[in-house]
Amino acid sequence: MVTGTPPTREAYYRAMAETLPPEILVVTSLGNASYLWAVVRDRPENFYVEDAMGLALPLALGLAVARPDRRVVVVEGDGGLLMHMGGLITVGAAAPANLTVLLIQNGVHAASGGQALTNAGLDFAALASASGLKGARNIETADALAPALAEALGTPGLSFIALLTAPDLEVVVPPAGFDPVVTKRRFQDAIEAPRYVQTLFGGGRLEERQR
Amino acid sequence: MPPNSRQQAISRLVSLARSLDGTFRRLSCNGMNAVHRPSEILETLKRIGVTVAVTVPDGWLGEFLVRIEEAPWISLVRATHEEEALAISCGARLGGARTALVIQNVGLLSMGAGMVCLAQRYQFPLLILASYRGTPDDPVFYHVPKGRATEPVLRGLGLGYAVADRGRPIGPQVESAATYAEEGSCPFVLLLGREDVQW
Repeated sequence: MVTGTPPTREAYYRAMAETLPPEILVVTSLGNASYLWAVVRDRPENFYVEDAMGLALPLALGLAVARPDRRVVVVEGDGGLLMHMGGLITVGAAAPANLTVLLIQNGVHAASGGQALTNAGLDFAALASASGLKGARNIETADALAPALAEALGTPGLSFIALLTAPDLEVVVPPAGFDPVVTKRRFQDAIEAPRYVQTLFGGGRLEERQR
Repeated sequence: MPPNSRQQAISRLVSLARSLDGTFRRLSCNGMNAVHRPSEILETLKRIGVTVAVTVPDGWLGEFLVRIEEAPWISLVRATHEEEALAISCGARLGGARTALVIQNVGLLSMGAGMVCLAQRYQFPLLILASYRGTPDDPVFYHVPKGRATEPVLRGLGLGYAVADRGRPIGPQVESAATYAEEGSCPFVLLLGREDVQW
């Protein structure tokens, strides 16, 4: 039972930082979802999605499909999920065994100033469960996140945790400016994604890499 | 001939005519020795190392997608919307897989925000194979507005694209489109006719 104000995004992120093993790939959605995670735990295995609202979840799905050998955790917002609700259906249908979805449920469009969502009172765990993400759950305290996340990461399969969160409207300043191409290349180097070899240099294909 | 037998005979003739029509359509693009163009696309995707396909279906693409789904060398993700499909492709390419986004051209109209904010901003090389509906070859009344808008929208988005040449083999055209995307670190659209994708 929760009394008073829900936990802050930072409280959840601190719990995430303490729980996530280093090999986990993390995709974060726009605004403070990315800016704050860069403050709390910047690392090459983070992929920060700037703008592109609602597309962090499907992007993470593609990453999970391409890299079944790595566990992917995506932090999406409730506004983003509502914008592309179909993505949840696709995730449930594709059902990659290596994807964990964390949903920040703050009831507002925080990145654009705190405007109310179309419907802020949805039971997202029920929505996720109906979409095929069995075992989806809602969490209302920061203390509950670490054990729930550890369980999700320790169990093969798709998992979904909605985090009831207080809105954070003030823009968090990340440690360095975001450059999308640098973010992408840093991430790809960290996971040893094969690079494309240009045709001029005898390629026209991806380099071969042993995993 | 009794009426029932006559009806059965007519029915068999209609069925035969439909079957022959399909055969002739497949062979007529380049003469009797023509390669089956949808098969050629699949073979090309396999040869150049495309391992993930993402799709939102179209009437022309139905069987083509079934063939992809049955192929052991490629994973198919069926998305609910083309902008979502675009993001899935970006994620798969981020993970190091070459991808093909297989959609109807209407999806190019509906994925604009994701194209600009994600695929182009992050410079993802993406091969997009789009059935080109609503052209003079496909004058279906509800497709025509999409056909008229497609190329102006692609130009407006600054996207590289080509219309498949039905007089040339399709495989090299697909390979060139994929190569353009990789060499330019950008999405590239190949607009395909019915004979290219309808099985």
